[in-house]
Amino acid sequence: MQTFQTGQKSPLSNLTPSTMLTLSARVTGPAAEYDLMVFGLDAEGKLSDDRYMVFFNQPRSPEGAVSMSSGARGEKTFTLDLARLPPSVRRLSLAATVDNGSFGQIDHAEITLGAGGTPLATYRVTGRDFQAQRAVMLFDVYFKDVWRVGAVGQGFNGGLEALVKHYGGEVKDTPAGHPAPLSPAPNSAPAPTPAPTISLQKITLDKQGQSTKLSLSKAGGADPIRVNLNWDRGGGLFRAGADLDLGCMYVLNSGEGGVVQALGNSFGSERLVPYIELDKDDRTGAASDGENLVIYRPDLIHTVLIFAFIYEGTSDFTRVNGRLMLKDPRGNEITVRLSNPDVRRTFCAIARIENFGGEIQITKEERYFYGHSDCDEHYGFGFRWGPGSK
Amino acid sequence: MAVSLSKGGNVSLSKEAPGLSAITIGLGWDPRATDGQAFDLDGSVFLLNASGKVRSDSDFIFYNNKASSDGSVIHNGDNTTGAGEGDDETVEIDLSKVPADVDKIAVCVTIHEAETRSQNFGQVSKAYIRVLNKAGGAEIARYDLSEDASTDTAMIFGEIYRHGSDWKFKAVGQGYAGGLGPMAKNYGVNV
Repeated sequence: MQTFQTGQKSPLSNLTPSTMLTLSARVTGPAAEYDLMVFGLDAEGKLSDDRYMVFFNQPRSPEGAVSMSSGARGEKTFTLDLARLPPSVRRLSLAATVDNGSFGQIDHAEITLGAGGTPLATYRVTGRDFQAQRAVMLFDVYFKDVWRVGAVGQGFNGGLEALVKHYGGEVKDTPAGHPAPLSPAPNSAPAPTPAPTISLQKITLDKQGQSTKLSLSKAGGADPIRVNLNWDRGGGLFRAGADLDLGCMYVLNSGEGGVVQALGNSFGSERLVPYIELDKDDRTGAASDGENLVIYRPDLIHTVLIFAFIYEGTSDFTRVNGRLMLKDPRGNEITVRLSNPDVRRTFCAIARIENFGGEIQITKEERYFYGHSDCDEHYGFGFRWGPGSK
Repeated sequence: MAVSLSKGGNVSLSKEAPGLSAITIGLGWDPRATDGQAFDLDGSVFLLNASGKVRSDSDFIFYNNKASSDGSVIHNGDNTTGAGEGDDETVEIDLSKVPADVDKIAVCVTIHEAETRSQNFGQVSKAYIRVLNKAGGAEIARYDLSEDASTDTAMIFGEIYRHGSDWKFKAVGQGYAGGLGPMAKNYGVNV
């Protein structure tokens, strides 16, 4: 297997005779999320057809020659079937973007080119290769007389917008008063059927704020919002199952605030303040329906922050397949697959639910913290935290 | 009609442009499109004898020594970003004035401060070398390096050399480890 350096190029035939390739990539760093995408560009290096931007909102090109799938810990794998690409697409460019932070802050990004399950080449960059770039081009598979590959490792401080502009696309500002269209959570599976066409404008709109917003105006504020946390038993024959806990921090419109969670037996109540209740404490992942939290009176809340954390038994949400599903009164669902970026950050703030004058807005957060107190510090609830156990 | 060469290819300038007496070497590259320090490529020319060495240090023509002592080679100056239309750097060679003991003229390009800027030719877009007839400015031969440029920071782009009474041009496209200093030293320059 070859190790590529920035700027290195090679004819593909030096690596493999195959034209069925996989390009896997993962970025490790402090940001909650790094987005990975493949642009299908024409011979001039321009994105002349929006449908060839393959990313979480559009995980497949029209004929399926480029498709994306999600793996553990934010890894994305793009399957590239070069023989099925239309002749108008001559360059597949893998890029990564981040909304909060820059690539100068990342620990590293690792890209692996493979064919038939065999890795052919790897390319690794670290934060030292970048400065303030918020969008970086990583690896290209392109046709120039023959199919070739190249490690790029250059980017733009202006993020996705600058990257798209570089590819000849145009990004317009978010029109005021038009909320982003509902989009599936980045990590939800299986992948939804993509819209037939997608405009760059829409993409940018979606990505601004790094959160999926569901505006639930006039949705009947008194209908409950249901949250379910589930995970697999984990552990082995000789190990206890993993114990994950679901909970929330809340502030009601009355000004009362607190925490609902199994820790400290603060299960809340359906009929009394805060009208938020946790059904049980599943200590091992054995319960088939996991842990459920219901916000019975969304109309009375000011802000609720849904969180999950690992109490014991594992240090890794991914290993126990931690997943959270949030259902709003309209039946919209947000699914979040939990994958803490490092073993110490085992507390995930998953979603923020806010009441803006009777209109409930749910924002996907998926930010990882060391524990309750630094999460609180980030969101500014101002609770007092002490050590607790159960 | 200009001849487009690929790596290793050569062409007889004298046959392509009968009566040729002076040429202009054009070097070009795209300015950096991404954020970061500019790509500053420097063209240099070495006048070499039959054993592939300079006769003296003045046979090394570069941004700090813009003309050979006999006046046969003139470097038209340094472009530090690649910005601007057409050739980014040009070197004029009066073939009729090139001393008889100069057998070969190597045209090299190095990336300024490549190491501290973490840059290499693989990151630079659309680098090329072309040879023009100075009289009239017609392009005689061209070599686009794009796919031959990789992780090198110094490259021999091309060579102009004697072949009997003719002059030929060869597309070399060969990387050289170490940068301009070691490259000059290798050609016998005291740096």
